[in-house]
Parts: sequence; structure tokens; C-alpha cells
Amino acid sequence: MPSIVRARGLTKRYPGVTALDGVDLDLPAGRVGLVGANGAGKTTLFRLLLGLSRPDAGTVEVCGMAVADDPIGVRSRIGYMPEHDCLPLDQTAADVVATFGELGGLPVRAARQRASEVLDLVGLDEARFRPVGGFSTGMRQRTKLAQAIVADPKLVLLDEPTAGLDPSGREEMLALVDRLGSFGIAVVLATHLLDDVARVCDHVVMLDGGRLVTDAPTEKLLHQTGTVTVDVGPASVQALAGALTARGLAVSTDDIGTLEVTVSGDADLDTVRDVVADMSLPLHRLTNRLTSLDDVFVHRAPVQ
Amino acid sequence: MSVPASTGAVYDRGYRPYDGPRGGRRAATAALFRTSLRRAIGLRRPWRQKVAPAILLAIAVVPAVINVGVGYLTRGTPAEGFEFITYREYLGVSSALLLFVALVAPDLVCPDRRQRVLPLIFARPLTGRDYALAKVGAIFTCVFAFSFLPQVVLYVGQMLVSDGALDYLVDNTAVLWQVPIAAALLALFYAGLGVAVASLSGRRMVAGATMLGITLVSSTVSAILIQADGGSVPGSDGHAAALVNILALPLQVRDLVFLGRIHEDSPLSGVSGGGGLAVAAYTAVVAVCLAVILGRYRSVET
Repeated sequence: MPSIVRARGLTKRYPGVTALDGVDLDLPAGRVGLVGANGAGKTTLFRLLLGLSRPDAGTVEVCGMAVADDPIGVRSRIGYMPEHDCLPLDQTAADVVATFGELGGLPVRAARQRASEVLDLVGLDEARFRPVGGFSTGMRQRTKLAQAIVADPKLVLLDEPTAGLDPSGREEMLALVDRLGSFGIAVVLATHLLDDVARVCDHVVMLDGGRLVTDAPTEKLLHQTGTVTVDVGPASVQALAGALTARGLAVSTDDIGTLEVTVSGDADLDTVRDVVADMSLPLHRLTNRLTSLDDVFVHRAPVQ
Repeated sequence: MSVPASTGAVYDRGYRPYDGPRGGRRAATAALFRTSLRRAIGLRRPWRQKVAPAILLAIAVVPAVINVGVGYLTRGTPAEGFEFITYREYLGVSSALLLFVALVAPDLVCPDRRQRVLPLIFARPLTGRDYALAKVGAIFTCVFAFSFLPQVVLYVGQMLVSDGALDYLVDNTAVLWQVPIAAALLALFYAGLGVAVASLSGRRMVAGATMLGITLVSSTVSAILIQADGGSVPGSDGHAAALVNILALPLQVRDLVFLGRIHEDSPLSGVSGGGGLAVAAYTAVVAVCLAVILGRYRSVET
């Protein structure tokens, strides 16, 4: 997959702090999760990608264009959804999105038409003629996403798109982000919520203190651990644990009433299935336990 | 009971890539200008936002209508040809125009900063200079239009009620270039001052009050300085302290456009090189305002 973002030795210093320290990146044109705690350098990286800030050292290319040479050209190919509130509150969603479509270079008529389409896409078709000031947090986040994609960018930078959303709003936003990839829009999703990245991103970049910690496909990071999680309900956990131990399997229980069973192959998985069936237990879940991004982040070591 | 066959269907229209024409920096600047202009004159906004420009336009046009009406009614009488307002006098500072700029300039600029829209705007293909150009351009266009349109009404009306339209046209050709130039200079002054003051605050009320305060204080200080130095009366030597009055600066420049000199009613009249000083002061104020605006938005952009 070709790189949508390519950085070499990217360094940005502010008085008293190095926001980015010699970062090398090759982000593929898919859905990339940019993970890091507050102050890790995510927003600084976005500003450098948008050409709104100049690096102290190193180079960065977006869509094959050097940002330093043509920041305006780069910006015309990028959509940006900031984390903070950034919408004109007294304008309708349709006007806001159409205006940012025009600012992105679309002709007036095309901007209004696409504003209507993308607001429909993000689920605001019926609310598009209401002032943004009366919107809920979820609706404002959707409007921000709509303005980011209205000009059909090659790359969209999403800064904490699920911030402040309730669980259902978060699910819907992640579903929308997931769909962007199928529209041919590359996504860089900056967040500190590792679950969000694990859900929708094909590639993960972790920053910590301005340094690159991880830059790898998600599936490589979330490798199987050789453990399966079995959920038969809290009432039957101990009985099942005893039965599996008697069949020679290593078993541990956790505090939410599920079993963690160490398996070495399909035969062990068959054994688990058969024991559950023989005991006539309700099998709610039988899943491979994967390394979580939290594990990766906690045990991180800088990329050499 | 049979169930009627469904005649409707739900389609997921999905996402359509855009492959039509796409503008660059100039198109983005023009788009921001259009949006700002619409906002300034209240288009696509609640009726309350349309009141100020509508009142201003009405106030601006009324003298022209009255002048033309008097001209029509006095045709064939000894009072024919009477003008209670001249083109030069008609083009000037009015409380309504000042209030309009004090209301509209902050309304165009302050919410972008206060509601943090600026990062979103500067993530588009335009620069801080483009932003400033669009905002100043929008105010300029409004002030120019509200100054120029009444003059057009006056000119066309006077021409129609005069005995010979062609004679009127020939006798008044000078105003055809004087009015647009003077109106443009007035509009540039107001737009620069209004946007510069508004760019320094995120609050509309503060910016508007500051704009009015600056003009009020400068005219008061100017008057005090002139009086403290013995004052100046029409026909006598003027006083250079008249230049401190920011509000009167575009009027001095207007007089230079229409008369080629400072008008004798002006406190600056009689000051040696008064015209040059007025132009220098006008230019300095506009330059400082533009420098403030560009500085403010360059720092935001980067």
C-alpha cells in the first residue's frame, strides 16, 4: 500500500519541550490510529501535516507532496476535524458544511449539494437546517466530520472524534470512521482511546513524549496469546474449571466470572467445547484472547 | 386481508467522490469573502441581523430621495436648482455608518476567534493574509456600497429632474470619478480600522465599544488640543491637532479628492501643507491597521 504520509527525522521543538523528536513515519493509505497520551505529539504532528507549523528538522510529505514546498496544495487535499469545539454556532449545519466545502475549493453549487449529501451520510439530514448552537455533542461531532469530508479529501485527520460522546454516539462515530476507508479516504485517527483504534484502524502509530514507539499494522500488534476466554455464566465457572483441569488444561478464573484457558492447538479447543457440551452449560462466549493495544502501550519500547 | 405490496425502498446513497472542478487559494479567499459579505448584510441569518444594514441603507438613501424630490417639486420655480446637499457633503462620516461598522466588523471577526473556528479555516487552502483580505474586503464592499449607492440615486435622480439630462451629465462629469474614489478611500479607512480593532478581541461588544471609543476619544482629544491652543475658526489659521481626530481623517482626504484642497470649514484649513499631512496621517492609520490585522492572523496561522 502506498504511503499517504511520509516523514523523515521530523522534529519540532517549543521553548522548554521537544514535541516531536526525530520521528520517521510511513503511514499507509488506510485507517491509521495515532495513539499517545496528552502531550505525546499528536496535535503537533497534525499541525505539521497541515503546514500550519514548520518543523525544526526533518521533512514530511502528504499525498506525495512536500508540505514545506506547497502547504496550500497539501491543505487542499486534507480534511481536518479538530478535537475542540470549532463550529460557528449561529449558522445552520448546511451552511457550515457548505461554507467549508467552498473554502476547500468546491464551486458554490457543488458545495451545497455535497453538504447535503455528507450531512445525510453522517445522519444529520433532518437537522441540517438547524443552527449548530442547538446541537448535542454527538451532532456537533458529526457536523465536524461532515465538514472534514465535504471537499472529498484524500486524507482526513480526525482528532479525538469520539471525545465527549455517549456509548451509542461513540459506536456510531466509529462506524462512520470505519466507512471512510471504503470511500477511498485515508484516515489518521488521533486518540488516547486504544479501543477505538483497535476497532477501526488497520495500522497503529504510537507516540510517547514526542518519540515514535510503535509503527505497525494493527493485526501484527494484536497477535494471539495462546489463551481462550470461556464464558458460561458465573454460576458454572468453578464446575467447568474443575472439569477442564481434570482434562489436563491450565485454567484461571478472572474477577468477572470468565475462564482463561491455555490452549496449544485445535485439540485443546475441541476439549473445551466437548466438556462444555457434556456438562450442558450455556456457552456465552469462546474467543481467542488477543494482546490488547493497552498491553503494547504499557510494554512499549521506542522503535529503533 | 392482503398486505399491500411495498412501493417504497430505502437506499443507502453512500458516498460519492467529487471529480468536478476545484479551485485553489483564490477560490477559497473568494468563498470566505462571499460568506463574510452575506453575514454582514444579514443574508441567511435571522431577521434581527438584517435590521442594521436595512436601516443604514434607508438612512443613507433618504437625503438623496429628499434632494431629488425637492428638485422635482421646484421645477419651473425660482427655487429650481436648489440643492440642500452636495455630492461632497453627502459622502462622509455619519453616525449610522460608524455604528454599522462598529456592529458588523466585530460580528465578522470576533466569533471566528471566540468559537475557535480559525484553526478550521486555516486548515483550508488559504493563509492569514487571505483571511484578512476577505474580511477587510467584505466590510469595504459594504461601506463602499452604502456610500456609493445613495450617490447613484442622487445623481440619476438629479439628472432626471433637471431640464436637460445631457447637460446635467456634462456639467457633473467630475463627480463620476470623484465619488467612487472618495467612497473607496472612506470604505478602506473604515474597513481597516474596524477589522483591526475587532481582531484584537474575541468579544463583539468589547470590539464594537472600542471602535466607537477610539473615534470618540480621538475627536475629543483633538478638540481639546485645538481649544487649548487658542482654537481655530473658519478662515483663520488652522491647527495641526485636527489630524488627531481619526474620524475626520477620511473627510480631509475626501475634500482633497473633490476640491483639491482642505475645505475652509475644516480645522485643518490654513495649516501649511495640511493636505499632505492629512494624506500622510490617513495613510499611516490605514497602514497601522493593516499591519495589526496581518500580524494577528499570521500569528494564528502559524
